[in-house]
Amino acid sequence: MTSTLLRPSRRPSANAGGRAGARSTAGRSRPGYWFVLPAVALFAIFFLYPLLSSLWQSFFSTTGGESTWVGGAQYLRLFHDPLVAKSLFNVGLILVIQVPLMVCTALGLAYLLNQSWLRFRTGFRAMHFLPAVTTLVAYSLVFRVMLATDGGAVNQLLAMVGMSPVDWLNSEAWSRVALIASITWRWTGYNMVIILAGLQGIPAELYEAARIDGAGRWAIFTKIVIPQLRPVILFSSITSTIGALQLFDENFILTGGGPNNATLTPVLYLYKVGFQQFDFGYASAIAWLLVAIIAVVSVVQFAIMKEKK
Amino acid sequence: MPKAMKLAAPLLALALLSGCATGGVPSAAGTKLSSDAAVSGQITVWSWDVAATALKRLSKEYTKEHPGTTINVVDIGYDNAYDKMSVGLQANSGLPDVITVETDHMPAYIHQFPKAFTDLKPLIGADEAQFDPSKISASSSADGKLLSMPWDSGTVALYVRTDYFKAAGVDPSKLATWDDLITAGEEVKAATGHALISTDLSTGSLFQMLLQQQGQGIFTPDGAINLTSAAAVKALALIKTMNDKGLLDNVKGWDGRVTATKNGKSAVMPEAVWWIGTLTGEMPELANKITVVPLPAFTAGGTQTSNDGGSTLAIPTQAKNPQLAGSFVKFMLANKDNQVSMMKDEGLFPSYLPALDAPLFHAPQAYFGGEKVYELFAAQTPKIPSITYTSDNAKAGDTVSSAVVAAVLNHQDPAAALKSAAEQIATATGRKIAQQP
Amino acid sequence: MTQTLKRLPVYLVLLVGAALSIIPFLWMVIASTHTTAALFATPLPLLPGGELWKNLARLQQETNFSQVMVNSLVVAVIYTAFSCVVSAMCGYGLAKFRFRGRGLVLGAVLLTMMIPMQVLLVPLFQMMASLGWVNSYQALILPFLANAFGIFLMRQAFLDFPDSLIESARIDGAGELKTFYRIVMPVARPQLAALMIYTFISQWNSFIWPLLMLNTEDKYTLPVALNTMIGLSRVDYSGLMLGSLLATLPLLLVFIIFQKQFVSGLMGGAVKG
Repeated sequence: MTSTLLRPSRRPSANAGGRAGARSTAGRSRPGYWFVLPAVALFAIFFLYPLLSSLWQSFFSTTGGESTWVGGAQYLRLFHDPLVAKSLFNVGLILVIQVPLMVCTALGLAYLLNQSWLRFRTGFRAMHFLPAVTTLVAYSLVFRVMLATDGGAVNQLLAMVGMSPVDWLNSEAWSRVALIASITWRWTGYNMVIILAGLQGIPAELYEAARIDGAGRWAIFTKIVIPQLRPVILFSSITSTIGALQLFDENFILTGGGPNNATLTPVLYLYKVGFQQFDFGYASAIAWLLVAIIAVVSVVQFAIMKEKK
Repeated sequence: MPKAMKLAAPLLALALLSGCATGGVPSAAGTKLSSDAAVSGQITVWSWDVAATALKRLSKEYTKEHPGTTINVVDIGYDNAYDKMSVGLQANSGLPDVITVETDHMPAYIHQFPKAFTDLKPLIGADEAQFDPSKISASSSADGKLLSMPWDSGTVALYVRTDYFKAAGVDPSKLATWDDLITAGEEVKAATGHALISTDLSTGSLFQMLLQQQGQGIFTPDGAINLTSAAAVKALALIKTMNDKGLLDNVKGWDGRVTATKNGKSAVMPEAVWWIGTLTGEMPELANKITVVPLPAFTAGGTQTSNDGGSTLAIPTQAKNPQLAGSFVKFMLANKDNQVSMMKDEGLFPSYLPALDAPLFHAPQAYFGGEKVYELFAAQTPKIPSITYTSDNAKAGDTVSSAVVAAVLNHQDPAAALKSAAEQIATATGRKIAQQP
Repeated sequence: MTQTLKRLPVYLVLLVGAALSIIPFLWMVIASTHTTAALFATPLPLLPGGELWKNLARLQQETNFSQVMVNSLVVAVIYTAFSCVVSAMCGYGLAKFRFRGRGLVLGAVLLTMMIPMQVLLVPLFQMMASLGWVNSYQALILPFLANAFGIFLMRQAFLDFPDSLIESARIDGAGELKTFYRIVMPVARPQLAALMIYTFISQWNSFIWPLLMLNTEDKYTLPVALNTMIGLSRVDYSGLMLGSLLATLPLLLVFIIFQKQFVSGLMGGAVKG
């Protein structure tokens, strides 16, 4: 069966041979289905039910083991809940500061680590990637030790340059700074690798042509590397944005959402609502609100990066 | 392919509508346990840490006494154990025959999943009165069922650095009230430069401990919000006073408390009996520098203890072999010899009061300079005040800890901070705020 | 000489970055050679201690470390192999073919990335329980084989893949599948390597789902086994640090092997040829 369906179509493609703009070869719909089939089938089998189930649950309220249909009441509740507003504000702040910071750092690092003249290249790459492979439990202990107010490594460093100790995890402002720093530490190497892989897709001819035209390093970086990397940068931006809006692990471990909810995020909040207060209906409503917000932000990012559909 | 999807979607939607989406509710109320049922087959028990060690050790004794039975003890780790159990309860599948649940977590499970646990009362009958009463009340449902059996108690007392008190010339055994302790704390600070207490303010657990010491919880026995009571204001004002006088050292989590204690940051630690295990394990160098006295009372002659921690064993109605589970739980917990052996080998302080008569609890402890510290804890355990838990304790807990931070660190008036917390909880839960006389 | 001077700042930047990245690791190395009690002291130990072998023996005894390492390896290798094929195929289909419902599939892929996993755990658990898959490795592998992150990554990677290459293969009479395996996959090696690194790590470090699914200690994967060293009032930090450190080594190895694919010029050569 597969062989008949995968038999090449003899129809010539509308934009055969083209590179830019030829994002898809028109008329080849059947093979397209077959390539996405395994993934779509797996999603349908394993995720359709959980997704619909969580949506369904968001119309229920559960107390004392009894579920009752409450219509849109859980969604109305979202708008009167100060913790929902606060958690959204917190991730908004993190998103605006952390994602550009991290994507730019990762882009710069990847570019430097891709230079052919660089010595110890593998070693440098591996060291920058190390944070991405840390287990969560080691990560949590290491950061709590580094950020401890009394005798923590960071405060000892600050003391060496004559600064007073900072109450990293107990102050509302500093706990946000600590959180942003620790997410950036953990995820920059990850994005660096993805961009590094993307850099390999840039044809060497483009660099050569630019050099012949007398372009400097900065010009090559901005005029050739960045435009060529657009899909990869879009990928990095969108996944980092989703990561920031769904932030959970880091604040769960480091601050538990405190102090005074300064590092509470929507996912941490819905975890508390669902798994500590057992209000799975409301937790699902928070989740779907978050999905809506992420979807809007992602569409905006697609539009900004001007991806042709 | 898209055709298949079009077909699958309504099918699955039907499956959802048939009700399995909102989490199953156990159909039966569980097996009726009997204390002398014949047992056979096997059971699985989930636990963690030293509790798992104790279960593994004593399960060998049990199977020796009951041939033809097998007990599988699985260490699921403490971190995230409740996620695993809550998913099993919510999904109404996947739970083993016996689970370990901490006393503080049991009331929420009882309220949210009232049909998910088997009544253990038939197993022990009148023996129920032999347990730490505060534990029994936390493990009981409103209709009088005993849904988990108390294992160990978290009886609280005051651990004191004797060298610091000596330097300040204060006698720790004369600390009758919290006011005495504050005065002593100031003298110790003047003499040694050390704070009085290292605590994690962001969790609110010190506040709840002080509230329970006064016999009250976040909610009154009839379910109203109790945060505007005189006792609540007194507890928060006490913490605030200590902080304003520079006597508090705010640390992060259990690690922070261990580090602070090990490094001698503060003069006293209001901690539960299991803190002894942490002391002897992580800071052997502090031997002979620490003594234990009862918690100072709020008013002279008042209650001098509270509760922090402790576990229970519960039998989910999902259990495949409830009779064997019941027999094993009874063997482990309502049993003087086994409770004493768990104190001896694993440091689990019994909630089963008859065990506290054993000589072990009257023996001098070398770490504490030969003092009989367990005698003190044994005497205080029956006096731990019972408090009321509701289905909203978890929800209220976060609001309460925010109020503690607001009053103590952000310098709000304690009564005002508690009033605003009470109003927030009232809005979130629809409960009334208790009228204060 | 002048060139070396010009490059000096680059080395400096990379050295600072490397230092920031590895200092926590150096501390893990030090921590795994001390007793847990020493890790609560101030100042913290800055030099390795002599407890490494004791910690290792305890780690092996309490978590059956060598067994769970093998378990993790089996699960991660099988998962990576199958998941990467599914992701690469789907990403290729989405990037290079125009068909009805393509937008819908891409949207669905992105949707599964957008929904917080936490609200899917209970229904997914119910599914596994009714299939009788609790405490089995297929429950760890199958539900997550189609990985939205991987599909999206491969789609973005294939977007700029030259159509001329695909067309010439078709003109030569190669079938779609053959074109994919013989022409497209080899040229996309750097991106595939990134995907494999990502997939392997995400399965290796996966914690909550294996914790929910695995019910016997002989089946535990690394993070679940290490979790048992965290007790109620007793945490074996030195054992945990050592376990985490050892758990990191295979990942570093995977990274170093696969990053060899990050070599410029593959694409240029292919287009020329």
